[in-house]
Amino acid sequence: MKIVLGIKWVPNTQAVRFDPKTGTLIREGVPSIVNPHDLDATEFALQLKDKFGGRITAVSMAPPAAIMGLQHVIGMGVDDGILASDRAFAGADTLATSYVLAKVIEKIGGVDLVVFGQETIDSSTAHIGAQVASWLKLPYVYYVEKLVNYDEKKKEIAFLRKLEDREEVYRIKLPAVISVAMHSQKPRPVRMSYKIMAKLENPIQIWTNKEMGLDPRCIGLKGSPTIVGGITWTPEVPRKKEVFQGDPKEAVKWLIDKLKEEGVIPF
Amino acid sequence: MYLNYLHWVEKSIYIYKKLIPPCGVYVLDVKNKWDVIIVGAGPAGSAAGYMLAKKGFNVLILERGRQPGYKELFGGRVYAEPLREIYGNDLEKAPIHRWVKREKLSFVDGSKLVSIEYQSDTSTSFTTYLPQLARWMADKAGEAGALLVEEVTVDRIIYKDGKVIGVGSGSDEVYADLVIDAEGVNRLLLEGLGLVVKLQPEQVAVGAKETIKLGEDKINERFGLNKEEGMAWLLMGGITDYIPGGAFIYTNKDSVSIGLVLHLGHAIKEVKDHISQMVEKLRLHPQLRNLWIDGDIMEYGGHLTPEAGPAMMPKKLALNGFLITGDAGGLLLNVGYTIRGVDFAAYTGYLAAKAAIEAHDKGGFTEQNLKAYESMLKNSFVYKDLTRLTGMQDLYNDPGMFKALPKLAVGTAANVFEIDLETPGVWNSFNKARRNAGLGLLSLAWKGYRLMKKM
Repeated sequence: MKIVLGIKWVPNTQAVRFDPKTGTLIREGVPSIVNPHDLDATEFALQLKDKFGGRITAVSMAPPAAIMGLQHVIGMGVDDGILASDRAFAGADTLATSYVLAKVIEKIGGVDLVVFGQETIDSSTAHIGAQVASWLKLPYVYYVEKLVNYDEKKKEIAFLRKLEDREEVYRIKLPAVISVAMHSQKPRPVRMSYKIMAKLENPIQIWTNKEMGLDPRCIGLKGSPTIVGGITWTPEVPRKKEVFQGDPKEAVKWLIDKLKEEGVIPF
Repeated sequence: MYLNYLHWVEKSIYIYKKLIPPCGVYVLDVKNKWDVIIVGAGPAGSAAGYMLAKKGFNVLILERGRQPGYKELFGGRVYAEPLREIYGNDLEKAPIHRWVKREKLSFVDGSKLVSIEYQSDTSTSFTTYLPQLARWMADKAGEAGALLVEEVTVDRIIYKDGKVIGVGSGSDEVYADLVIDAEGVNRLLLEGLGLVVKLQPEQVAVGAKETIKLGEDKINERFGLNKEEGMAWLLMGGITDYIPGGAFIYTNKDSVSIGLVLHLGHAIKEVKDHISQMVEKLRLHPQLRNLWIDGDIMEYGGHLTPEAGPAMMPKKLALNGFLITGDAGGLLLNVGYTIRGVDFAAYTGYLAAKAAIEAHDKGGFTEQNLKAYESMLKNSFVYKDLTRLTGMQDLYNDPGMFKALPKLAVGTAANVFEIDLETPGVWNSFNKARRNAGLGLLSLAWKGYRLMKKM
């Protein structure tokens, strides 16, 4: 099975803090990581490869630093990587990003399955999988948790996905696009031998728009119709650190009075 | 594009030789293994890797963190001279934040403190961020030809037929003629080899630290520094709740590193607050907090440092095909007013590389040939400092040292400077403070003598 795996190199949002005065993110000094939900997708793709053989190519659209992310998944067992990286791709919204990724997948050619994570931790749109599927005119299944079966001859594959109140099984013809439900897999650790290989033979290619030859109106800032109208945030409410000690009945009365005073409860 | 070679090499030895590029046919070649594998891309590992790669050895450096330096923590200061011996003038290109030209030592008791300050226009040490310095040192090794591979946790040293032949990580193994252990203070690999026993609390100190972003100009103003000049400030006494150890303040380019080092053997018995709360107390100390009151805490962290000197060195630092450097060898010095870790580690890595080169010239990495490392170390400042100065350990066990002396210093100053009506004489002030601190004249004289002698 020829699999393409999409990953994103994101700032570790657990380390990003929020400036309570300006409402902006403090990104300085924040290390980047592979989007954790993409590691679920990586594990899922690797299990398919373990079972049915084939190759996995990881793709990403990002500045060159994202090579470290591709090296990480190659360390887990992915075969090679392609980084779409060009100044012309910068400033893209999800539409322009998915366009470039779809074109990368087209250019690779002969792909059976495209695997994405459910969403990214730095923007949580969950757009990319669906948009890539629609650019490529391929069926798309999201929240995938498990492989049900795969008929290699008929190129038919069935996935199970879990929703809040039910489980669903989708049987589709390859090629197809899926996104893997977050927290549904246990991503395997990086292996020394794969990591050494990744460094020795550098199986990562960088594709700029020279190689891709995409219409500049479809990529980067120009290809991005999304407009951020504004950002708002909930200001931090300072704690008053008031403690009541004594009879529980009085405590309830005291608490209700306080909440009324603050306008938290109206009566 | 690439043949699927990873499958069939999985269960074999991972030494590859590319035969027909670029179609990617890889053939296993057992003869072509690494000359040297180094475990850990810290200051010790990278210095050794740099020297050996420069000499033409085929070097593989394996690092557990996602990048060099990600698993390391230090106070904030590095002494330059040992690094200059390794890197020569290239050191000027290292990520140096400020050259330390002001040294300050303070005794703290409650909200009061007494300080001694030394100012100079020359400097022998600099402040930096360790991940930046570690990255630089690893890159130097890389430029010299070593291969650095991150995110790999080595979990065993492979010892066979009386010699070390490689290292293992999970189900993978790599082989080399020489393995250099630069794994750091937590010596799991050496424990596995049976060369050391598990760390004892008495052998280590625990450090905790915060980095506060402040801005370059504010640092210069508040600490009285010129551009690119730094301050190193050590404090002892009440700042650690009188637990043996001390606090430190270092000025980086646009941030300040503050933290504590507590002797662990004492801390586990005497500590009242969580160490993170003790760092917070340091940050909020009434005489200090205004220095960084409007700063922003960027990061915090904790780490162990070896303290016992020769007492925690492994029985041997060289085996057949094996050398031990840096913190793993117990080669760090902490004498309260001076803490030397990074430069010691780098220098011992450098000596290990030198010994390896000599051994290679003599015919191979046998224990016999590698033993020169132990004698090089014994003749170097590292070992001399360690044996001479770890007598400080005795002082740590003298409960008066970290309590009575700071109390005496602060008490005397308080008596001299805080005047009601009558101006007090210095001798009377001193004696009053001495009695309050519970120190007899003779015992004080004895303590003073020992202190001077040990230091």
